[in-house]
Amino acid sequence: MKKLNFIFAALLGMGLNYSQAQTPKGSVLIKNATVLTVTKGNLENADVLVQDGIIKQVGQNLSAPSGVQTIDASGKYLMPGIIDAHSHVALDVVNEASAPIVAEVRMKDMVNPYEIGIYRALAGGVTISHAMHGSANVVGGQNATLKHRWGSTDPADIIMQDAPRTIKFALGENPTRVHGRGNNIQPRTRMGVEAVLRNGFNEALQYKKSWESYNAAKGQKGNTVAPPVFNERLQTLAEILDGKIIIHCHSYRADEIYMLINVAKDFGITKLVFQHTNEGFKVAPEIAEYTMGASVFADWWAYKMEVYYSTAFNAAILQKNGVITSINSDSAELIRHLYHEAAKTQRYGGLTDEEALSMITINPAKQLGIDDKVGSIEVGKQADLVIFEGHPLSSYAVPQMTFVDGVKYFDIKADKDDQRQFVSATEMVEPVYLHTEEDHQCLQDVDAYFEAFQGAFLDEKH
Amino acid sequence: MKRQFLKAGMAGLLLTGILSHTAWSQSDPTGKRRVTETYAITNATIFASPGQEGTKGTVLFRDGVILGVGANLQLPKEAQVIPGDSLFIYPGFIDGAGMAGITKPKDPERPKDFVSSAPPDEIAGITPWRSITDQFSISASQVDDWRKAGFTISQILPDGGMIPGKASILVLGNPGTVNVLSENSALATNFRGSRGMYPATAVGVMAKFRNVYQNTTLALDHSKLYASAAGVSRPEVTPTQTAMSAVVQKQIPVVFTAASDLEVRRALALQKELGFRLILAGLENYESVIDLIKSTGTPVLIKLEIPDDKAIKSQKADSASTATKAQYDRVKEAYDKALKQASLLEKAGVPFGFSTMDTKPGDALKAIQTMVKNGLSEKAALAALTVNPAQILGINRVAGTIEKGKMANFVISNDSLFKESAQIKHVVADGYVFDYEVKKKTPKDNGKSDNGTVKVEGLWEYTSETPAGSSGGELTIAKEGDDYSGTITYDDPSGGGKVSAPIKNVAVTGKTITFEFDVNAGGNNLTVTITGEISGTSMEGTMSVAQFGSFPLSAKLTTPGLTF
Repeated sequence: MKKLNFIFAALLGMGLNYSQAQTPKGSVLIKNATVLTVTKGNLENADVLVQDGIIKQVGQNLSAPSGVQTIDASGKYLMPGIIDAHSHVALDVVNEASAPIVAEVRMKDMVNPYEIGIYRALAGGVTISHAMHGSANVVGGQNATLKHRWGSTDPADIIMQDAPRTIKFALGENPTRVHGRGNNIQPRTRMGVEAVLRNGFNEALQYKKSWESYNAAKGQKGNTVAPPVFNERLQTLAEILDGKIIIHCHSYRADEIYMLINVAKDFGITKLVFQHTNEGFKVAPEIAEYTMGASVFADWWAYKMEVYYSTAFNAAILQKNGVITSINSDSAELIRHLYHEAAKTQRYGGLTDEEALSMITINPAKQLGIDDKVGSIEVGKQADLVIFEGHPLSSYAVPQMTFVDGVKYFDIKADKDDQRQFVSATEMVEPVYLHTEEDHQCLQDVDAYFEAFQGAFLDEKH
Repeated sequence: MKRQFLKAGMAGLLLTGILSHTAWSQSDPTGKRRVTETYAITNATIFASPGQEGTKGTVLFRDGVILGVGANLQLPKEAQVIPGDSLFIYPGFIDGAGMAGITKPKDPERPKDFVSSAPPDEIAGITPWRSITDQFSISASQVDDWRKAGFTISQILPDGGMIPGKASILVLGNPGTVNVLSENSALATNFRGSRGMYPATAVGVMAKFRNVYQNTTLALDHSKLYASAAGVSRPEVTPTQTAMSAVVQKQIPVVFTAASDLEVRRALALQKELGFRLILAGLENYESVIDLIKSTGTPVLIKLEIPDDKAIKSQKADSASTATKAQYDRVKEAYDKALKQASLLEKAGVPFGFSTMDTKPGDALKAIQTMVKNGLSEKAALAALTVNPAQILGINRVAGTIEKGKMANFVISNDSLFKESAQIKHVVADGYVFDYEVKKKTPKDNGKSDNGTVKVEGLWEYTSETPAGSSGGELTIAKEGDDYSGTITYDDPSGGGKVSAPIKNVAVTGKTITFEFDVNAGGNNLTVTITGEISGTSMEGTMSVAQFGSFPLSAKLTTPGLTF
């Protein structure tokens, strides 16, 4: 098959990897499951037919077309693939922390398909993660939405190419510490963060205008207008203003959340999602009215001053106020059991099964702009699916199989002790551990900026 | 070294009998001028090009140019004859991307108004105007080391940040001149960020590269407009843009250092986006991108090195659990696969060359032999050392094979290069003959003999310069049998006082010592690697921590010969 593709590619005079690589698409019939569609209720004893990566039928007594494998899921639960709206898994670099605005950097450049975290996420039923730039900058880099097609060596294969562009913003202590305290430049305070944003957007407007003038004049006879300086940083900010990129903003305090809503209003930005949002419950109506929602932790706080005023009821309060709410991991460990995290909203806030599950499926899909493609079990959607033993919101739930585009990438029965794709020829067998148990990955790679305070080897991580 | 020349000189003196010391010092005060530029290596086995059988014959060359190759050559009177009866002659090796003999220019002072988020190009490692010819010294010991390994031509890359400057193709010949074959032959580029300033990481480097490239294009457009129309604002072309013009106009390629398959893909992505000419260099892990390399037709210079087998040798299978043993097997498998990579490139039909950057000249021949043992054909190995890099560097008209009219660059060995017993006896570069004495191997000598290996045992005091300031401590090294052990003290990362750690993986080869130690910083284990060059009782080197970069280190042996 692959060989044939290659011959075709060679005939067409282009490389196999250079043409838009075709990612694997699978066909499968999953029978007799309790299907948790998330958007269209629960179906007992139901079948889901997937063909070429797309959900073709959902119903009862479906039969498999010839050549399509049937999986009996009697007594098991089938839910849409879990979507993590905040992750740093599979990125070789997380932070380009060196400037307050680095909108020009692209996390897609840094995707590492070998990272074992992808497989671990699959084992927790997560099929899509939002691989974000870190929170060291007021405007961080452009993020990558990943589909966990484990086993590919080409980063392009695990990037969800049909997902819209998103970008990381960050407010509060991280950018003020890195730039203000660390490098003595703006922003040193929350006011500075707002100033950096407003200046950036105003400069972007001027930048866009200068290019428009140049492009209009360029073709004219006797043109004397010289080309402006190219600046992808301002170009990207201009594209945010044009509504081409969704902002995902790291935030904790209510005042700064409200500040960014005001900045967005002033600049006509509507595509805005808040991340972390620990004090979101204080401004829930405003978030509901003006933004694409909030992506929060179930119960994680008190790791720095701005994250003390927190509650485990946050997600439920946001949800009840009509905010599109998702629960994320921001951690290579938590990503393995986001279904537990979602279940906490039932203990703290009494959400229904459907509400709780939507926080790790359709809601994050909406925040990433991919809810027309994934996030629920509906005919026509991409077949990202997880089979659970036990209800996914039960403490005893164990994911059994995980599918992306109808292709099975995790099967608990075929789970080997060592699932690494890439093994170094020159490194000793390293102890297996899950790093960042206690830490966010948001401030990965920024250590150099704190050295002035802490000496050559540092210990502060988050 | 240069014994032949000295002998010839003596003969000349005796024959003419009139040249006094004062007489030739007037026209050649150094006394180094050669008596003849014409040489003939007679009756040797000549391997004129890769894949060709060795044939007995003579090679005649003058002024660095091959005059003839064959069995019945008429030798001119002035030719100095080197009997080659037992010798094998190969074309001189060509290094596609090396760094021998260069001195990295000092980083400029930071200006008073320095802002780390927008540093001047020169400080941020963007110095495309720098030329390697200003940094290269042909008399550096590394140059001789590489020549001794058979290399006669090297494209030397500058050292520095993400765009350190321009490379030049140099002939490693006449020790008295620079020997430029092609100046500013390529732009060197890599994914190295600039510590503590923009761009600090690979993701920033990629964005910055796009920016530099696009703005060079625009600056050229602006200059063109300025030249053709009145009323246009004066173009302000920066030194970076001036120096990048040749790349943007595709006059010279970019030599991108890309060690892993992912870095190869990143370099190719930039190339595809911007359209520059690309040569990939320093490849270590590339099995999964061989098809991509082939389909894009990108020239590649793989790292002339085989992976370190320390990890495999340190496996203690006896005491390991089944799970650990399975992991050991995977490391072994990865190692075996890494050795086979070069042969896979050959199978795919990719005409690759080598780059010597960050590799050891003494291990070069062994690396090639290992690749051959693992499936690379002798023909492809020799091609990778000669005709392929000549093609990639665009010097195939003058170099790569032993042919009349080509440059007199030869590797002369006592045996087939692909036999373990092969030893390079002479190297001819640009018509200059260099003799490398072949030491007799003693059976006990496992490369660990004390011959030429410096003594490192004792108590050292070291200091290192990190961005956080100067730090230092004590280092003790003891020798037990063939192995070294010891401890090092360093500033406690959590503040206050010193802590000590055992050193491990100590290796002493020639004058170089390398070792590692672990630092626990906030629950994270960091491995620090120290590499030092020892001369007498002092050591100069670097201390490096993966992801953090490397810092200069110097040490003094205060109490030698410590025993425990």
